[in-house]
Amino acid sequence: MTEVSQSIFWLSEIAGASFVGGVVGSLSGLGGGIVVVPVLTILMGLPIEQAIGASIVSVIAVSSGAGSVYVKDKITNVRIAMFLELSTASGALLGAGYLARHINPQALYILFGLLLLLSLLPIFAKLGEELPIGVKNDRIASALRLNGSYFDKHLGREVEYNVTGIPPALGIMFAAGIISGILGIGAGVVKVLAHEVAMKVPTKVSTATSNFMIGVTAAAGAGVYLRRGMVLPYLVVPVAVFVLAGAFVGTLIMERLSNSLLRKIFALLLAIAGIQMLIRGFGGKY
Amino acid sequence: MDPTPSRTSGAHSTSISNVSAWVLRSGVIGSALVMLIGIIFTFAHGTISVDRMKSDGFEYRPDVIWNGIRHGHGKYIIEAGIYLLLFTPIMRVAASSILFAFQERDRLYALITLIVLILTLAGLLWIG
Repeated sequence: MTEVSQSIFWLSEIAGASFVGGVVGSLSGLGGGIVVVPVLTILMGLPIEQAIGASIVSVIAVSSGAGSVYVKDKITNVRIAMFLELSTASGALLGAGYLARHINPQALYILFGLLLLLSLLPIFAKLGEELPIGVKNDRIASALRLNGSYFDKHLGREVEYNVTGIPPALGIMFAAGIISGILGIGAGVVKVLAHEVAMKVPTKVSTATSNFMIGVTAAAGAGVYLRRGMVLPYLVVPVAVFVLAGAFVGTLIMERLSNSLLRKIFALLLAIAGIQMLIRGFGGKY
Repeated sequence: MDPTPSRTSGAHSTSISNVSAWVLRSGVIGSALVMLIGIIFTFAHGTISVDRMKSDGFEYRPDVIWNGIRHGHGKYIIEAGIYLLLFTPIMRVAASSILFAFQERDRLYALITLIVLILTLAGLLWIG
């Protein structure tokens, strides 16, 4: 093969994997690093640092691309997102700007992995549930008017919902910010958990709102990765462009799925992410 | 059991949703186009090896990027596209802050989004 065709072939392989990452990331609210990082490290043999650098850019592409659709279709709860972003963005700054120099990432990966696997339990407890029942706004949610409604394409009707558990959600979001600041991940998985388990909003709303937020968290943490040389421009192009294409396809699928199927997909990805973090904690490069 | 019926419209201000959607869509499509133009320029100026693509790092000094763009250097056009992408969610926050302040006249949310904007810009441009 000539050099040009080799280069184009390499770019196309990354593009294909990134497309899949975009579909998965946008329909689950996780961002896509969960697929992009292992593909770049295991299949393409790139160092984990550069894979994470590409992944953090891809999170922003998925978040913005899918976000534009979910916001327009009014599935995203913009008020919840804005309010909780206070918490994640401060956490991300604290993580990237200060804690990253003092915390052993290996230990954090292990802790994070265990927490993710543990959080499978509350998800399993409500695995088949289509819509949350009997949720009442807590005081903060009422004061900030966080409750809302969305049109569910699967159920074919408008769904109204209340929001509870804001104090624990703020704490979880702060931790999510710290984790993404130190490890360079969007930590979408933690954001979905905060929405699902603490705030008890319908799964589609938690997916769309988490998806909306991860772009801001990733942008707050991205500067550090640019300055550390973890972002390779040529690598970012196929990743960003094709996760974006995948993200738009993912939105078409997500809106038509039932909440309970969506939650099952999320539980599977949660387990994969937990194992992935444990492997990284024990020195694996995926 | 019943969701609070009153004031549900608050969570979905139509103008904020539509403007956010527009900012996000323009940002991602614009940045993807700029990056693709960068790749075309790269290959138009000769060949680039896989090893080079795996090792050529990010140049973040604005003057070098600007100079590179003016000389039609593909890598710096790509970097401009990456910056455009990184600023897309930030522009979305900025746009909502302005709308909350001047259109919705919701001071609390205008303040919340303004703080988020400052924190995010600090992270992208200075901290670390």
